[in-house]
Amino acid sequence: MSKLTRRHFGKGALVSAGAALAMPALTRPAFASDQLLIVQWGAMWIEVSREILEMYLDSTGSDLSVTWEQHSGGSAAILARIQAEWPNTQRNIVSAWDPVFRSMIKEDWLEPVDESIVTNMSSIPDLFVQKDSAGRKMTVPLSTAGAFWGYREDILPDGFDTIEDLLRPEFRGQVCIPYPVNLTGLFIVTCAIQRGGDEFNTEPGWDFVKELAASGAIGQICTSNSEFINAMATGLYGVGFWNNGGWFATATNFPVVIKNRMPDNKGFLYNEGFSVLKGSPLEPSWELTNFFARPEINELYNMNLGSGPTHPDAKANPLIADWFYGPDELEQYAYVADFDHLGIVLSDWNARWEREVLPLIP
Amino acid sequence: MKRIEDYIGTAIYTTVLLFAGLFLVMPMIVAVVLSFDARSFLGAFPPTEFSLRWYREFLSDDYLHRGLYTSLIVSTIATLVSTVLGTFAAIAIDRGRFKGRATLEAMFLSPLIIPTVVTGFAVLIFTASLGIMDGLTRLILGHILITFPYILRTVLAVLSGVPKRYTEAALSLGAKPWLATIEVTLPLARSGIIAGAIFAFVMSFDEVAVSLFLSDPFTYTLPVALLTQMRASLNLTIAAISVIFLVVSVLLILALDKLAGVETLTGRGVYGR
Amino acid sequence: MPLDRFHKILVLPAVLVFAPLVIGPLILLFQESLRPYEGGSIGGTLNAYLTLSNYTEFWHPTYAKYFLDTFRVSLIVTLLALVLGYLLAHYVVRVAKPRIAKLVLAGLLGVLFISLIVRIYAITLTFGPIGPLRDISWLVGIDPRTRRHTELMVVFGLLHTVLPLVTLTMIGTIQMVNPRLEEAAMSLGAPGWRAFFSVTLPLSIPGIVSAGIIGYAFSISNLVVPLLMGRGFVTFISNLIYFRFSEVANFPSGAALSVIMLLIALGIFFAGTRIVSAIWPPAERSGR
Repeated sequence: MSKLTRRHFGKGALVSAGAALAMPALTRPAFASDQLLIVQWGAMWIEVSREILEMYLDSTGSDLSVTWEQHSGGSAAILARIQAEWPNTQRNIVSAWDPVFRSMIKEDWLEPVDESIVTNMSSIPDLFVQKDSAGRKMTVPLSTAGAFWGYREDILPDGFDTIEDLLRPEFRGQVCIPYPVNLTGLFIVTCAIQRGGDEFNTEPGWDFVKELAASGAIGQICTSNSEFINAMATGLYGVGFWNNGGWFATATNFPVVIKNRMPDNKGFLYNEGFSVLKGSPLEPSWELTNFFARPEINELYNMNLGSGPTHPDAKANPLIADWFYGPDELEQYAYVADFDHLGIVLSDWNARWEREVLPLIP
Repeated sequence: MKRIEDYIGTAIYTTVLLFAGLFLVMPMIVAVVLSFDARSFLGAFPPTEFSLRWYREFLSDDYLHRGLYTSLIVSTIATLVSTVLGTFAAIAIDRGRFKGRATLEAMFLSPLIIPTVVTGFAVLIFTASLGIMDGLTRLILGHILITFPYILRTVLAVLSGVPKRYTEAALSLGAKPWLATIEVTLPLARSGIIAGAIFAFVMSFDEVAVSLFLSDPFTYTLPVALLTQMRASLNLTIAAISVIFLVVSVLLILALDKLAGVETLTGRGVYGR
Repeated sequence: MPLDRFHKILVLPAVLVFAPLVIGPLILLFQESLRPYEGGSIGGTLNAYLTLSNYTEFWHPTYAKYFLDTFRVSLIVTLLALVLGYLLAHYVVRVAKPRIAKLVLAGLLGVLFISLIVRIYAITLTFGPIGPLRDISWLVGIDPRTRRHTELMVVFGLLHTVLPLVTLTMIGTIQMVNPRLEEAAMSLGAPGWRAFFSVTLPLSIPGIVSAGIIGYAFSISNLVVPLLMGRGFVTFISNLIYFRFSEVANFPSGAALSVIMLLIALGIFFAGTRIVSAIWPPAERSGR
């Protein structure tokens, strides 16, 4: 008799998924259909996820019932919600990216990946996986993504060669950037790198940001994926710094050039994927996650997001062919930031942004 | 001489009025037109192709329906509770003579000055500390907090126009205070109570910031759903929703008018005009 | 039962429900504002020392600027709303034929009922880059690419929220003013506009002030309009608070800012009502 994992209130007894797996699914009790609450980004993410869920339900005949919750703003917002309710959170699967994963791992909210169910894990490069201090795998990466500078070719045919160009008058009001909180401060990091610093030494970056603000280059500061997508669609802004998801949505309607091979700056890589919160029905959670990690599903998922698949057998969307790097280019152009550190300084950066940058915008 | 002055005065008056009216109405017209836009991105106005796709989207969107349903329940219950408690409180404050009336009045009206963001967060941590995890309860409690001042203010205002001597007459004729209140004071204040309730309902229905904090993934109000949609995806379903809202509010007001006359909303004042 | 006791009992249920709902959260808020915050964690550290650092953090000229911006923009909105709203209210009560009055009244209520989010969206569509009225800022001499333009958009958005509210409130006020007085002035030879300004307007002032206070309160604490229309750089205090609660999870800082905002708002209203009562003594409430 397969044991049905039931949600509990309080740390302690969790039915081991291993025992559940040992029994065939045929003997699963029929009285309760599993319910999952999945947190996912809006726009293309949730659309393709719903499609994939349909495919999962059709192919397995499962009667899983899923409620979707959308991230509002940055995915860090969900952390506050979960914290307020911990340990009684109703959320099960959280789709997020590395910085958020690190926070959740630090707070000890995640279930280690059950590789006996998530068999596709063995194909996914270890490099992409987030681990806890004991070295256990805690996330199932589904996408390789990145944050890049870019521009709309139809608005600015000549584009720019370096972001120092953006300080020139012809770029006045053209630039669309994230709040420091979004993209976990990667915007500050890119500015820092521009001036010879990095996420630990951001002073040169702040100088650049302030110059950018004072020059009037900044047109809008976006706080969510869709705000960026909407803003770039208005035609008011030609230049932006955002993640590949936002760029992909823009690129489907307008000609976009991604500046990820600039001599004096980098493309910022990270992974997105699923994680399972403690207290969730483990078997259905991992099974569904495993489905998402299958090569053909992984391909479908990322095809719609404009990100790179994590399963080596999945093919990437041709549109984003030159957005990501070949193995020999990684050294020169790619940058993986220290997300643990970013998580710690984010609040200070937010306050600093409010104090020193916002007032400068003319 | 007088005529020219009056003429200019009326001209200015009418212009300003038209401006105000247009300002209020224009965005709605634009929304109506855009709700029929066939394109899948924000293109230039006016649209070149038309379609009903956004209406279809709304009709098939469970996420929004759920929000609507929750909004109706939360706002109705909160308004009812606030109306009953608030009316009695108003009568007590207006007519009573006990000490501390002014302080009570200030406390009751305080949510008006507390930014709704603060109210939302504060009620969230408060209910969390009490162990109330249920989204619906939290929402109702938060909405009672914000609807109460509106009712109190409106009923107090109306009561100031209801002469005390009517109630005093009833009392002097031997009626118990409770009876005098129910049979005399309440009916005289009725228009204000109804007006306050409708006002409170509308304010609660539209409330975003408080609901943002008190909602949970399963229980959320319509404005929260709309906000999430607006920040999370690009589509014109909201334009379609605005048209639907418009139609519904027109119908509701027509119904209200048939039942009670729209003037009950603001009362007819002491002078009937 | 003595009347006083009756009234005390009457108010009791409201007190029992309301008082904990107001006082409890505020106490917890204040408590949270005194906790230290560690970067990267969520909420203040429990059971730690108490600190005032969350408050001193805001002792910085830029934050004064945010407060001033919030109060300044809201003042513009409230004044505009009072002027437009008073004329609108006057029209509904005194000038319009009953049918038209009903229509306008219905319209005002209808606008209020339509979700603010929907209205903001509609305004963005109308006055935004793709809208039919996108060049309107030129009328006021503002270049669409400047911060002032975004502020104008926020003003429009807030005005759309506050105007119906304020108008409906002032309709009640004008109804309290005896129309005979204006007629009397006119029969004594004053032109219409003069009667309006010397008779009706002064008598409505307490009501106008009351409506103004409501409108201002609404405006300064508004979150949604600056959030959706501010392009990320026109920021109200509520936005700063919201970010701290919802995006950065620095609850103590958000709580401290909330307390500061509350105290300032209280101060404004207290001072405001005192000044107004001093200049225009409140009309006697009948029967009090």
